[in-house]
Order: sequence, then C-alpha cells, then structure tokens
Amino acid sequence: MAQNTPDETLSLLTRLSQKPGVQSTLVLSRETGAIVRTSGLISNSTSANPNSTLPASSGAAPENYTNGKKEGGIQSAEDVASMVWSFISAASSLVEGLDKEDEVKLLRLRTKKNELVIVPDPKFILVVIHDTPPA
Amino acid sequence: MESTTMQQRREEILAKKAKLEELKRQRLLRKEQNQARQSIGSPSPSEVLQPTPRRTDNDKRDLDDLIYNLVGVGGSRPNSTQPGSPAGGRATRPHSVISASQLSSDGEAPASTSYQVPVSGMVDREMQTLSIAPLATVFEYDGNEVHASKKEKEVITYSKGVQASIDWSPPKSRGAGGSDSERDESPTRSPRASKRLSRRQKERDEEIRAQLKKEIEEEVRAAQKAAEAGEIQAGSKENYPFKTLNNEELTAVENSDDFIEFVERSTKVLERALDQQLDYDILADYAHGGLDVDEEDEGYGSSGAKRGRRIKEIAQFWDERWSKKRMISDLGFSTKFPELVLASYTKNPSAPHDPDGLIQVWNLHMHDRPEYIFHAQSDILTAKFSPFHPNLIIGGAYSGQVLLWDTRAKSSPVQKTPLTGSGHTHPVYSLDIVGTQNANNIISASTDGVVCGWTVDMLSQPQEFLELTSPPPAKTDDMAVTCIAFPQSDPTYFLAGTEEGSIYPCHRYDRAGAKAGVDGRVKYAGHAAPVMSLDFHPAKGQVDLGDLVLSSSVDWSVKLWKVRPPAATGPSNASAPGAAQQVTPILDIAREDLVYDARWSPVKPSVFALVDGAGSLEVWDINVDVEVPVQKVTPSDSKRGAFASMPSGLGYMNRSLNKLAWERNEGKRVAVGGMDGVVTVFEVGGDLGGMETRGEEWSGVKRLVGRLEAVGEGVNGK
Repeated sequence: MAQNTPDETLSLLTRLSQKPGVQSTLVLSRETGAIVRTSGLISNSTSANPNSTLPASSGAAPENYTNGKKEGGIQSAEDVASMVWSFISAASSLVEGLDKEDEVKLLRLRTKKNELVIVPDPKFILVVIHDTPPA
Repeated sequence: MESTTMQQRREEILAKKAKLEELKRQRLLRKEQNQARQSIGSPSPSEVLQPTPRRTDNDKRDLDDLIYNLVGVGGSRPNSTQPGSPAGGRATRPHSVISASQLSSDGEAPASTSYQVPVSGMVDREMQTLSIAPLATVFEYDGNEVHASKKEKEVITYSKGVQASIDWSPPKSRGAGGSDSERDESPTRSPRASKRLSRRQKERDEEIRAQLKKEIEEEVRAAQKAAEAGEIQAGSKENYPFKTLNNEELTAVENSDDFIEFVERSTKVLERALDQQLDYDILADYAHGGLDVDEEDEGYGSSGAKRGRRIKEIAQFWDERWSKKRMISDLGFSTKFPELVLASYTKNPSAPHDPDGLIQVWNLHMHDRPEYIFHAQSDILTAKFSPFHPNLIIGGAYSGQVLLWDTRAKSSPVQKTPLTGSGHTHPVYSLDIVGTQNANNIISASTDGVVCGWTVDMLSQPQEFLELTSPPPAKTDDMAVTCIAFPQSDPTYFLAGTEEGSIYPCHRYDRAGAKAGVDGRVKYAGHAAPVMSLDFHPAKGQVDLGDLVLSSSVDWSVKLWKVRPPAATGPSNASAPGAAQQVTPILDIAREDLVYDARWSPVKPSVFALVDGAGSLEVWDINVDVEVPVQKVTPSDSKRGAFASMPSGLGYMNRSLNKLAWERNEGKRVAVGGMDGVVTVFEVGGDLGGMETRGEEWSGVKRLVGRLEAVGEGVNGK
C-alpha cells in the first residue's frame, strides 16, 4: 500500500532479486514481450537495455551461477523471456480450454535444479528462478 | 465471343511456355540456393523477402502472412517487414487457400526451401491472368503432410501445408498466404478461367502435381530428420515477439501506475511463494533425505517440556527500512485472517522525515516484508483490527487522535479525529471496539481521563464523551487512565486502570443507582504502580468465568480479580455512602521484573500469557500451578533488532517485551514485541492452545477461584 513511487517499486524488485536462493528475476511486458527488468541473467548486449538490469542476489555466487545455469542453457534474458512467453501461452490456452472464463494466476514449475515462479498479469509478467532445497 | 476465347487460349499457351522456362530456371536456382542456405544457415524469411520492391501491396501482405504463419506466434508482434501487413493474428490473414493447388497445377518447380523472389517477380507478372488448376485439387494434400510441415516451423518451404490448415475461403480470394512468393504472383485465376483449361493441360498438371507432391514429402521427411537431429536453429528468437525498450520507454513503463501496482502485487505473491518453500518442501522425499527429521521437541526454549506444553518460535518480523529504532506499542491478530498480525510502532527519533506513527501488518507466510504499511503523523500507541470489519484497522495516537485505516486504501488513514476540539487532547493509550456486527462503537481512553465513543463512519465528532474523575477520597480529581477493558457480556460497563495503581469500574451511561463515569463505590486496589494492562476472561465455555480479570503492572506483579457485577454494587453502597469498598485481588502473582502485558488465552480457560521487562514470554496455567509458569521463553536473536549492534551488556533494556497478543480463533499462536521493534510469533503446544478444551479445565478454574476467594476472606478476617 505504501509503495507509490517508482523508486520504492524498484527497491521491491531489488529486494526480491536479492532474497537468498533467488537466481534471477525477469519482468516482461505482456503485450510486446519487451523485457522491463532483469537480474541475474545475461542480456544480449546488442538488443538489451542495460538500464533494465538490477543487481542480483549476492548469495548466488559466480560458481553457483554457472553451475546452475550454463548447463541448462538458461543464460540470456531473451531466451528465458521467449521460453517463458511460450510457456505462458501454452498454459493460458490450456486453462482457456478447460474453462473459457478462467485465467492463469500463478505458475510454479519445479525442475530438478530449481524452480520457476511466474506471475502472469494482464499487462506484465514477473518471473523468478530460484534454488530449491536439495531434494 | 469466340475470338476472345481464342485469344485467351493463345495467351494461356504463351504463358505456359514462359512458365516452363521459368520452371527450369527455378530448378537451377533452387539447387544453388540450397547450397547457399546450408552454408549460411537459414536466413530469416523477412530478410530474404525484403528486396522485392515491385510487389503489389497484396503480395507484400501475403508475404507477411507467410512469415507469421511460419513463425507461428499469435498476438501482436512488431511488424518488421511491411507497414501494410495485418497486425492482428491469424484471423485477419488473407485467404491463402488456393495457391497450393495452383502451384502444383501450374507445374511449377517443386517446392524449395527458400524464396526465389527476384525471378518469380519477373515471370509472374506476365501470367497474371492465367488460371490453370481446378480449385478442388487443394484437397488432395493429405492431412498428415499438413501436420508434419506445421510442426516444422523452421522449414519455411512447406507453406502449402500451413495453408491447408487455414480456414477455407471463397475461391476468388487471392491465394498464397503461405506459399512461396513467386507462386503468389502466379496467375490470379478466377473460377471462370479455370473452366477453360484444356484437358491436356489438366493431365499434365496432374502429372506435375504428383511429382511435386512426392518431392514435398521427401523434403518434409528430410526436414523432420534434421529437426530430430537437433539441428533446428531456431529460433526462439524468431518465434518470440521480442522488443527492446529504450530508456524513455523503460521509464515510461516503470512510472506507470499499472507497473507499480503490478510489482506491488506480484512481488508479494512471489515472496509468499518463496517463504512457503522454506517452511516445507512439498517435493521432500523421505526415502532419500533422512537428514531433516521433523524436530518434534526442538522448539526454541522448549527443552525438557512435555510436548503439549512446548512453545516454538515460528516467525520473527523486522524491517530494515521501517522497524529501525522504533518500539512496538501494540500487537493484534486479525480475526478474519489469522495469519495476519499487526504491530504498531512509536516514532523513529533519528528519522525526522519519516512519519512518526507506523503500523505494519505482517503475514506469517511472508517473513521479510510486511503485507501492509500504514502511517500517521503521530506515534501510534495502540491499534487493532476491527473485529467486525476485516479491512479496517483502528489506532490511537500520541496526539490524542483516533485513526482508521483501510487495507484497501493507501497508507494514510482513511479517517481520523480532528486534532483540536471535541475529542481527546491527551495520548490515547487504550481503545476497544464494542457492540455487535451491526451496531458497534470505538471506545477510546486518553491519559487525562477522557473516554470517547465513536462510530466507525464518522470520526469528526465523538458520539459519547465521558470524563473520568477520581472518586472523593483521592487528593485530586484527575484520573490518569492507562488502560480500559470491557467484559464480554456488557458493552456499557468497563474497568479503567490508572497510573496510581487502582482499577475503577466505570459506566458509559447513567443507570439505576449509578451515574455515568467512575463508579466510586468500588475500587480494586492492589497495584502499587501504574497498571499496564487489564483483560477480562474471554469466557466462551460451559462455566461463566467472565468476571475474572487479569491485570499487570510495573510493580512486578500480575493480579487476578473477581469483579463485582455492576448491578450488585448498588445495595452495598447504600449502607455506607462515601466510603468506597475496597476489593483485593483473589490471586497475586509476583514476578521478577516489570510486567508489561498479561492476556488470557482466547480458548483455554486456565491459560494466560505475560511479557516482562526481562524480555520473557511466560505462559501460565492456573490449573497446573499458580506460582510458576508452565513455560518461559525468550525470542531468539536471529533477527537484527534495533539494538542488535549494541554490546550485549545493554541486554536488560533492549530485550524488554512490551506487548503480547493471542491469535483469537485457535489460541495457538502468541505474538510478542518490545523495545527492539522485533515481532516474534510463538506457537504453543496442545495443552496451552488449540480448540479442544475439556470440561474439567473449566470446572477446575471455577473451583480454584472458589478456593482463592475463601482464602482471601479468611485472611481478611471476614
């Protein structure tokens, strides 16, 4: 309720991206697919706007970073963005297929290595990739 | 008539020849291009297509559609190729149906995987009028092929397959949404024209078509293999309507209300999601791990206790930005959402630009961040959720204001009483909401003895105004009220604790035998120092214990009182007017430190909890013991409180706990908070909280009270 200024909004995102275990965050525009904010992801320098990058979690040390992600091929913000985009489209059509008036509110995708939490909204999409307890 | 037909025929033949020539050329070209393609890697279709200035608008459109088809993403996308292209999804695509059949019937070159734009551009223009294939031939492509090529989005060639998947449209519409570009250019045949085709030509067409089909199938197969081999250079990027924002756009987006609201909402959801994960991992595999065995009795400070009586710390709340250098002045659980705890704070003396008053609503499922933050101009001394409206929070301020916040609104109060005039002019340390769902009032008490009644709808003017004065034997009229408490059963009568230590019964209205205000006939005397809290027993069981009151004081004691029903005070007073009847506590529990707060469990009749200046939370069960608590714990130091950086020698001051609150529905959770601004929530075991209470617990308390009363009377010599 109290957060009304862009600065504080940003600090919220920064906080989130610096929570322990959080590898990367990504804010997309739903309409254009444009990347609004990222953290912990490598952007293709040519196409991305450096201003949209936030500091990543300090907990995600470089070693961690590469371990977790290079293997999986998740490196570039654009790649993640496009994959998330199509994932959401697929999920949306699934939900719509089940019930026309329903909509996707939250996607949690557990993988062997980490978890993606996706919050789709009419205008934006927030994605967090974070470590899960070893299981 | 005849001559025109003849002429057309001639034209057709001419065109046919041209076409055959072109066919050869294309074959050659295709080979070249295939080689080129392999070396280059498939160029994005839009690039290839762009150098075709001669195209008509229609064609361009078709191209775009083709691209979209191939790229296969619905919705909006940046129109890189042509301004005229349809922005919408597939629905708006021009009908591309016929071209497939046209292609094959034309006997053109077998489909190739690339666009042969320049060539086709030249040749096709001559053939605009030709029509060769019967429309029906389109259907000859079987479904399998269609699907196969559809799956292979990268294989740009098989636009025919893609076309087939599109809704059929009237034959006269132009074809070729998905087809190779030169084919789009090829004759716009009207059905009329096709009738005039010679049989021979038809036969030849069939032949070529069959050949074409074979080739297509081959290529599809090849493409599939390639795809399986993982050689798709795909293009998630091609598929993805990706756009980079420049700085201005970025700022615009980030300043939009939509974005701010979205971040506010979505980060909350995510934090909950992440915190939930910490509590329990639903994917836990006990067969494999074996490491974290559920700690049954490992709750903080529960060493050696029976399981039912353990107390476990479950959460601590502290916010770097807001909790810093503030003390907790009040705590309360929401009745509607038992996971929400509100904490009110005093001002931060080193941040003069921050609002003095602060309320944070914490969520037990979100550990690092408050669910809501509310502000006020003046220190908030007391606050609680309205029991009748889950969205409303009511608070009392140092300035004497009573404030109302709404969780649906912003952080500033939606309503507040005026600073001057009819309300309080002294700090409001105590307030309550009494009445029923449909008729309730806020009752607030300030330290000058003024008690006001307000309605939630209108805080501009008090509905009731009552000034409490000390009854006759006192030296002054002034009465410094520190706390008030209402019994469960009677909203017109309350107790007021004072700074001098006495507790007085008060009436809100005139009633038989008593005027509104302090009832001077009874005085509960016992405390030697300011009364810090008063709490009526929340009797909800089979035995009525509603007349039991717990009081705490900074005289290092907690006292249990049995209050006289207000009506019963009348007759006894008549006999001895002027002489206040002194009532002593039935139980006096001395503690080892200042006692700041003591509260009954909302469900267990014999259980209460207290917090003291040494920083301990004690839980008592008077059925078990009236001299020692059954449990005593201190909040852990894991959270950085306001004094965390100070040397531990200062431990005494900083650990002090000011307030405690029970979760009202189940009585299993207790929140405590104090000087260091940290809210700590404990969960108590089944003997001390939880819904199921046994009958004997109630009767046990009743018996105990009877016994204590008898003892008290014996001591008093009555």
